[in-house]
Amino acid sequence: MSRSRVVISLLVLIVAIVIQTTIFAQGGFNFFGVGPALVTLALIAICLRVEPGYLLVLGFTAGMLMDLIGGGTLGLWAMVLTTVAYSAGRLRSLFRERSPFVVAIVFGLTVMGQLLYVILGTLFGQGTVTTSGVVGMILLPGVWNLVLLLPVFWVLDRVYGFKRGRWDS
Amino acid sequence: MFSPSDRRTDKVTILFLLLVAVGFLVATFDVRSSGSGVSETLREGTQSIFTPLQSGVDYVVKPVVGLIDGASNLAGLRDENERLTDRIGELESQIHETEALEEKVAQLEEINGIEVPEGLMSVTARVNASGPSVFDNIRYIDKGSLDGIVAGQAVVDEDGLIGRVDLVSVNAARIRLITDPIVSVGVRVLSTNETGIVTGSGDGPLRLEMFRAKEAVYEGDRLVTDGSRFPQGIAVGTIRDTADSEVGFVLRTYVDPAVRLSQIDYVKVLVGWSPTDAGLHDGDEELTQIGGGG
Repeated sequence: MSRSRVVISLLVLIVAIVIQTTIFAQGGFNFFGVGPALVTLALIAICLRVEPGYLLVLGFTAGMLMDLIGGGTLGLWAMVLTTVAYSAGRLRSLFRERSPFVVAIVFGLTVMGQLLYVILGTLFGQGTVTTSGVVGMILLPGVWNLVLLLPVFWVLDRVYGFKRGRWDS
Repeated sequence: MFSPSDRRTDKVTILFLLLVAVGFLVATFDVRSSGSGVSETLREGTQSIFTPLQSGVDYVVKPVVGLIDGASNLAGLRDENERLTDRIGELESQIHETEALEEKVAQLEEINGIEVPEGLMSVTARVNASGPSVFDNIRYIDKGSLDGIVAGQAVVDEDGLIGRVDLVSVNAARIRLITDPIVSVGVRVLSTNETGIVTGSGDGPLRLEMFRAKEAVYEGDRLVTDGSRFPQGIAVGTIRDTADSEVGFVLRTYVDPAVRLSQIDYVKVLVGWSPTDAGLHDGDEELTQIGGGG
């Protein structure tokens, strides 16, 4: 696997962070005040493009960037996205041939990531579990990511120059 | 690829555990250092890198978002227009009464020596990004230390208090909204003149606690800053639920923020006042954030 693919993946994740903090910012496109978890979705979407070890490092790096420009404790999103990357890597065989499991995996991993952040945020004194509407904040990004699933996968197909229907690396 | 017997799987699992351990250590370090020092420098550096990207995307995309948002609200706007037409009639009749009241308020302020926020120097800034997750109650603005902004300064708009500056770089600053669960604001209830503390709870209403309340607060009562952490007299919100006071018990109720925080676009940073003027701070995290940039 070429290292350029890892670099491209990192750029994809940075673009996802920028879009997340601008277009899907509060006051922008959102649903009941909640936007998608675009970085989580991008990370899941690239799990077939890079090897699991690189995917973990990419997840950790993207998480650290989110922590650095976010308002929470440093390292929380790093742990969350590393866990999402690990889980996506374990489940990557189910992604082949555009299996219907993809929908369940994207929703499940997104919700798992949000839930894990709430738990970690609470443990580290962020008070996230006491945030009003916390259930919506956990579930709605999962729904959002299902809506964005096809567009994001389509764009990444083009970015990585994949042939149609051939998702595995 | 990931069968349990695969040696590479074991390596991946070890790497996973290692990275999670690193993340845990970083989080512990950040909490222990209260967000200052190395982590603060890293945050400022990252913010400086992302700010031009965010500003560029925001500049290009915001008009499109506004257009789509406006189109989706077209039906609602028609009803709103009729309602507002009726409302104009009512308001016109109140204008003369309001003018007289304004004069009276001005006289009262002069008598009581109330320091109104409008008298402070301010810097107008544009909000160009928010946090990367739904749990972040922060906004980024396009003005920074070059414009005289330092951490701890109050951020307001025409409706009232939005939050405070908690991280500053050369050309950008981060605002922590009053809805953040780690932000507390000292307030005074205008109707009773008693003080309390308002704490954020995410997207929902703010939580008000009054420890020595002798009088009840009623729905619609207005709250302003008490001058401890922010300049006094800035509108914070209105009481959502009436609550009675009981001797020996804390009065607790909810407050609707004065500002519609989901729709802020331009803000004013009150640069003529800093929290050190008051000499009072919130808890440890508050101290850190305020101490961080100035």
